Amino acid sequence: MITKDFTYHAPTGLDGVVSVLAEAAGDAVVLGGGTMLIPDMTHGRTRADVVVDLSRAGLSGIAPGDGEVVVGATTTYADVLADDRAPALVPLLRVMAGGVTGGPQIRNKGTVGGSASYANPSSEVPACLVALGARMRLASASGTREVEALDFFTGAFATARRPDEVLAALVLPALTGTSVGYTKLKHAESSWPIATAACVPGPDGALRVALGAVAATPLLVTVDRPDAGVADPAWRAHVREVVDAAVTEPWSDVLADGEYRRRVAPVAAARSIARALETGGEEETP
Amino acid sequence: MNRVRLKVNGQEHEIEVESCTLLVHAIREDVGLTGTHVGCLTGDCGACTVLVDGASVKSCSVFAVSADGAEITTIEGLAGDEGLHPVQQAFWDEFAFQCGYCLPGMLLTTCELLDRDQDPDDAAIDQAINGNLCRCTGYASIRSAVRRAATRMAAGDPDALPESQRSESPSAEPPPSA
Amino acid sequence: MTAVTSADVVVTGPAIGSSARKEGGDTLLTGRGRFVDDYTLPGMRYAAVVRSEVPHARILRVDVREAEQSPGVALVLTGESAAAHAGPIPHFIDPAARGGRYTDVRCLAVGKVVYAGQPVAAVVADTRRQAEAAAELVRVEYEPLPHVLDGDDALAADAPLLYEEWPDNVVLHNHYGTGDVDAALESADLVISDTIRIARSTTAPIEPRGYLASWDRLDETLTVYGSLQNPHQLRWMVANSLGLDETAIHVITARVGGSFGLKMQGHPEETLVCLLSKLTGAPVKWIEDRREAFMAGAREQVHRFTVGAMRDGRIVGIRDQIVANTGAVSAQAGWAMPNMSATTLASGYTVPNVQAELHVVVTNKPPLNAARGFGKDSAHFVMERVVDLVARGLGLDPAEVRRTNFIPAGQFPYRTATGLNIDSGDFPGLLDKALAALDYDALRKRQADLRTEGRHLGVGLAFELTPESADGPGSFVSGFDVTTVRMTMTGKVTVYTGVTTPGGGNDTGIAQIVSDELGVPMSWITVVQGDTERCPGGFGNFSGRGMVTGGGSAALAARDVRAKIATVGARMLAVPVDEVEVAHGYVRAVGDGRTVPIPEVAAAVVTRAFAIANEVEPVLEATRAYKPGNIDHVPDERGRIQPYPTYSSCLHAAVVEVDAETGQTKLLDFVMVHDCGTIINPALVEGQAYGAIVMGIGAGLTERLVHDAQGRLASDRFKSYLLPRAGDLPTIRLEHQVTPSPFTMYGNKGAGEAGVGGAQAAVANAIEDALAPFGVTVREVPLPPPAVLALIDEARTK
Repeated sequence: MITKDFTYHAPTGLDGVVSVLAEAAGDAVVLGGGTMLIPDMTHGRTRADVVVDLSRAGLSGIAPGDGEVVVGATTTYADVLADDRAPALVPLLRVMAGGVTGGPQIRNKGTVGGSASYANPSSEVPACLVALGARMRLASASGTREVEALDFFTGAFATARRPDEVLAALVLPALTGTSVGYTKLKHAESSWPIATAACVPGPDGALRVALGAVAATPLLVTVDRPDAGVADPAWRAHVREVVDAAVTEPWSDVLADGEYRRRVAPVAAARSIARALETGGEEETP
Repeated sequence: MNRVRLKVNGQEHEIEVESCTLLVHAIREDVGLTGTHVGCLTGDCGACTVLVDGASVKSCSVFAVSADGAEITTIEGLAGDEGLHPVQQAFWDEFAFQCGYCLPGMLLTTCELLDRDQDPDDAAIDQAINGNLCRCTGYASIRSAVRRAATRMAAGDPDALPESQRSESPSAEPPPSA
Repeated sequence: MTAVTSADVVVTGPAIGSSARKEGGDTLLTGRGRFVDDYTLPGMRYAAVVRSEVPHARILRVDVREAEQSPGVALVLTGESAAAHAGPIPHFIDPAARGGRYTDVRCLAVGKVVYAGQPVAAVVADTRRQAEAAAELVRVEYEPLPHVLDGDDALAADAPLLYEEWPDNVVLHNHYGTGDVDAALESADLVISDTIRIARSTTAPIEPRGYLASWDRLDETLTVYGSLQNPHQLRWMVANSLGLDETAIHVITARVGGSFGLKMQGHPEETLVCLLSKLTGAPVKWIEDRREAFMAGAREQVHRFTVGAMRDGRIVGIRDQIVANTGAVSAQAGWAMPNMSATTLASGYTVPNVQAELHVVVTNKPPLNAARGFGKDSAHFVMERVVDLVARGLGLDPAEVRRTNFIPAGQFPYRTATGLNIDSGDFPGLLDKALAALDYDALRKRQADLRTEGRHLGVGLAFELTPESADGPGSFVSGFDVTTVRMTMTGKVTVYTGVTTPGGGNDTGIAQIVSDELGVPMSWITVVQGDTERCPGGFGNFSGRGMVTGGGSAALAARDVRAKIATVGARMLAVPVDEVEVAHGYVRAVGDGRTVPIPEVAAAVVTRAFAIANEVEPVLEATRAYKPGNIDHVPDERGRIQPYPTYSSCLHAAVVEVDAETGQTKLLDFVMVHDCGTIINPALVEGQAYGAIVMGIGAGLTERLVHDAQGRLASDRFKSYLLPRAGDLPTIRLEHQVTPSPFTMYGNKGAGEAGVGGAQAAVANAIEDALAPFGVTVREVPLPPPAVLALIDEARTK
């Protein structure tokens, strides 16, 4: 039960959101889908004097633009899955959204921007955004700025967003003809992800893989192409070497310690690459 | 306090809630419908699932104020005057519950699934009910119930209709959708 | 009187043995089932519990001033003030009565705390939010004491003492079994010694516990609503701890949202909520939150065993030293579970020499609570691992080693080395059916093929023998129960029984029995359970007793009522009583088929008591107790008693594929062949079995309660304590074998308790089998992916 009441705002536009945030001077929390924030408030892990609910602010939707795709912060996983254009516009987010833990109830409410802002090391969205080279569009009363995803995630549950800012949208480079690959390892359906890997080959063919849940923030590595196939032990050893070098401080929680994550991160990476190269990233991960 | 209007199971309610009141508590305590259950308050167990504007949500992870103006369906809204909803009927026939505590979530999630997909395969069923924990049944009978409800609703099987309508034409209007 | 012809009589088959649909299912399906949190009383207030944040400490000061000033607060109660009004909570099973040690258990800690999470103070306020807000303002000052969380560590000579009046941390130390294990091991061709650890898991029903107590100041009576298993024992307990007459307390069991042993009485909050109501003069409700519910442990044991076997697979002796970590002492029955681990150790195998030594030790973890399996699950886990290890050591097929050691089908009743007198069974029959269902030989071939591709398929078998319907002498763990069958003057029947249901459906099963025995349709029958004012004194649900004792007593009571209906009906049909049948709502003359409806007979009994019904006592009601056979509390020549009338059995088979790169286990197939004797309602039995299997799969793969170094729960939600979900599971296949018990009313045995330990063992055995090319040995459960990878590493570094 939330023991401390708060002032609730549900502005009907971005201007309203940023002005409430400016006024609250750091005492506000921003409510996206609520799937993580509200349980946290219920259990006393987050307390706030002001809650700014984005649900009426009109920040939802997927809009293709010139060489990029703008995904509104309050776009839910279900929105992504229901959008016929998603396989072409946001293929990685679509594969990721289909596997989000917690059932349709969570996919109906959970938002891409909310997950990014919450920056739970165990969440899937941050690493996907890093893999895509997304830019995070942050709005405040003093204007709008964009931050590279890699710079946005600054630590466990910490981002570059200032308290007076709201994450308004994610700007993704358009992926024309690129086939992505995604792998998620978790203990069971109930479990947080233990290691995720999102492979987005660059235009130059470089295999960029962002690893999620293995460290406090997503890790981005670039791996050589498997010229002798993804089963080639030498290539697997290379992937392990590259990933090992990146995983300097593995994330650890009650489900899996850092050592386990370090062990399986290269496996996830190699599998995501295999999917990107072999199946076009369509396959659901276990 | 905030004045919130909810249309619950077709009936308008106007309630006064604090900002921090969760939708599940508003439904149980202010609207007075206790069929929606609290199992964890972390959004994990699914016993508090309701439909908000037709979409399943875990009502422990929604503020009542955020739902202002919404149409809500709870477990109490599934059966009509004429009898049980076909999904309820299928759950009874298949022994798809024991203690019944997870039922509100299981039933409403199933209704949403069958609204979207009239012929779900096992993977789609699992994907739909993965957000709902049941500690009694081991889920086997729940899968069977979802399949039975889907088959009957799709086939226009008279058994799929509310009990009182079964003697009428099988092409009678479809059962109330959740 | 309207005699009708037989053509008008709607005849259906017997209810017993049919999958009659769940009684009251529509109530639950439409959201009208009333669980404890759904009760509201006028003027009701809410309680919140302040819990210790440290594992072991003296309480120096509890400062309630700020909390008392918080809005809406009616009362803040500390341990000291509670102790002035409430005595110790009597134990469900007193350890002292079993040769163990007693300590006072209070509803709020007095003087010191012995686990993180222990209730230290309580707040009553107008709303739950106010109560929880005020609870955050209670300041407790502690003087920390050294603490111990591990069972082995607690046995060390210098371990911190939880209970200073005890010489050590041992609740119970006992020896079990007979025979000369040393000689047996000496003679054995194969001797294996190893250690097996069963980590702490929990029952986790989806509905947590909750109580609503209402003290009536004028009548000086107490009404308690709760999510409960044992209302009569709770009434006794509250009467004791609050110093009230039992007759002043009325306990009403709400619908229970699952329990699995958790809601057996003995929890501190039961006494606490009653006391809070008495002190505030208002109804007080307390509903446990999920984090609180996760404190309840279900099992935690270490077994150090030595087993000896002959070349042909015969197991000739087992020695097992068991350390069971029961956490802090509670008044609940959890501490007693390891007793059954020791007693059930050799399971359904003819092991002649068995010696088990058990230490039940206390630690600064939260208490164990009774849990489905009640310790037998751990015995099965260990024994089924032992059998697999023997098979591996001898190069024999694990299925055949089981067959070699099973008690042969013709040798029942069979007295085991630990004293259990197994009533009946056909264990090789279970194995044959399971192997056939698996297509075992084909599966082994597929396993070999996949291994050549570097894939790891594994098959695990596990047998499970479940003693059921316990009677613990000198406790309220009772092997009998009582039922009243009452027919109204319109022929409607209400059954009031002392057994309760946690949701499994014994109410339906009892209605089926009464339907057949009394000769009325199911739809005429209402079953009332869990109400101490309405139901006869009984014992609730535990130990698979609902249908054995509740069903048996309902049958006897129904037969008494039926006899009167038959007598009066025969009179109305003008035929001798031995020439009528009572069935399907009619009394029927066998000779010419004329019938009279039972409602007319029932009306005649009360309206023509001095005419047609002259020869019967005009009350259509009977209360009967049923005591099954095969319980014997007179110790035999070796000091063994026999507390269980009947034993169900089952054989589990799990098929898994293990990903050796990640340690992930995918369960591909699961078969259980189940023998619970005569089946009253197949669908309900199967439902129970599926649930227990999945609970065992969870405890085998992912369910583990984790405490930090300070004894605080780290796995406190369903994302860190991982219950299986639908997508984790294959279609579980269930087959039945029926070997009736000679000692129960219908030959029925318990159902619902069995499944946990066998499933846990089957998945563990399957993982070891899958990873046989690496040579791994499973020594612990659960086996989440990191544990599986660690097994492979361990085997590689050997």
